[in-house]
Amino acid sequence: MTLRSIARGIVRAPGRLLLLLLKGYQRFISPMTPPTCKFYPSCSQYAVIAVQRHGAIRGTGLAVWRVLRCNPWNLGGVDDVPPARPVHHHHDVAPSTH
Amino acid sequence: MDWFDGLLKPIMVVVAWIMVQFHSLFEAVGLDPAGGAAWSLSIVGLVIVIRILLIPLFFRQIKASRGMQLLAPEMQAIQKKYKGKTDPASREAMSRETMALYREHGTNPFASCLPILLQSPIFFALFRVLIELPNIASGKYPPIGPMSPELAAQAEAATIFGAPLSGTFMQAGSGPDAMAIRIVTVVLIIAMSATTFLTQRQLTMKNMPPAALQGPMAQQQKVLLYVLPLIFAFSGVNFPIGVLIYWTTTNLWSMGQQFYTIRRMPAPGSQAEIAMKERKARKSKSHGTIEEAAAPAVIIEEKPRGQREQPKRKDRNKPRPVVDDVKDKPVPPKDSDGPSTPTPGAPTKPKK
Repeated sequence: MTLRSIARGIVRAPGRLLLLLLKGYQRFISPMTPPTCKFYPSCSQYAVIAVQRHGAIRGTGLAVWRVLRCNPWNLGGVDDVPPARPVHHHHDVAPSTH
Repeated sequence: MDWFDGLLKPIMVVVAWIMVQFHSLFEAVGLDPAGGAAWSLSIVGLVIVIRILLIPLFFRQIKASRGMQLLAPEMQAIQKKYKGKTDPASREAMSRETMALYREHGTNPFASCLPILLQSPIFFALFRVLIELPNIASGKYPPIGPMSPELAAQAEAATIFGAPLSGTFMQAGSGPDAMAIRIVTVVLIIAMSATTFLTQRQLTMKNMPPAALQGPMAQQQKVLLYVLPLIFAFSGVNFPIGVLIYWTTTNLWSMGQQFYTIRRMPAPGSQAEIAMKERKARKSKSHGTIEEAAAPAVIIEEKPRGQREQPKRKDRNKPRPVVDDVKDKPVPPKDSDGPSTPTPGAPTKPKK
């Protein structure tokens, strides 16, 4: 049980670090610049939600793709983070008996 | 920091190349190649090249915000709906609806994130190039693109008001130029803070509708507007003079660009828009004698508002017998689903 929670903590550490960086940006750097983003939620907020919902790797990927779309040739608008993928089940494997 | 330099290397080469090109241009014009003027101006040249490259993006943004005037009524409706609601949930709902409205009308007043993010590596690259100038000159750091050790030594020795371009406030030391470095950096930091402050203030005070100036976010922004110079003062003391020149020049350019934008297409409902309308009114007034002939035509065009009178068939205009009158009553839209009896002469809907 504890081993599992430690493992979970390690797995989630990169995401935590990213979230810390993002929050730092939102708290201190972003207010220094005029509102810029063409989307709702803003790129940084999108990144926060994406990392929370999809983890560090997928979340970063989604956030990078979003920033790439936030360019002058895009009209912007409302663009939410896609919902989390359902947990993958192996249907062909017999379920373990509890 | 090696991996960071590795990532920045291509940009550093480009930055060094542009600087060296400008330097040789100024040399050809007749400036002293070893002087501070030629090297400072080549940093200014770098800014100008970058900002000129970004001008298409700027115009693209202006074009995207063209339709802002058209959606002013709907915008006001949203602002009215959320008037006085300062809780985060309704603020978020408000910005969501606003963004959806922009999308619907194919317009968007905001710049975008990518160009701004793309500019920061250039800034870091210049920072790295200037910091490493002494090391390139002494051979400790490999030459960056066309920035050979000889040129680096020359740039490093170049002084502006007695302060070398790679000097920073914190590492001014106690040499003969220490005082000059301190004075020049402080002056540049003040200039940098002032330009940023003025640009921000112009944006918030003049180009935002009063509704956007309420709420906790706006308050936070206001506080930061005044904290900003302090932040710059603390970070600026670590920046070489060359970077400070770059930053100040960029700020001046942004200021000019913003001034142009606000004057030409202010945000609806903002103070700048009122000013623009006043300007236009004054202009048309001074040209009044010429434009008077055209003016009435414009007013007439404005007049026909409200429901358009439906054209009637000639025979329906005639007074009718009472029996027919009941039958011919137009079917109210509510009951239109029912089996409406198609009476001759009744306003019929297109049928399948």
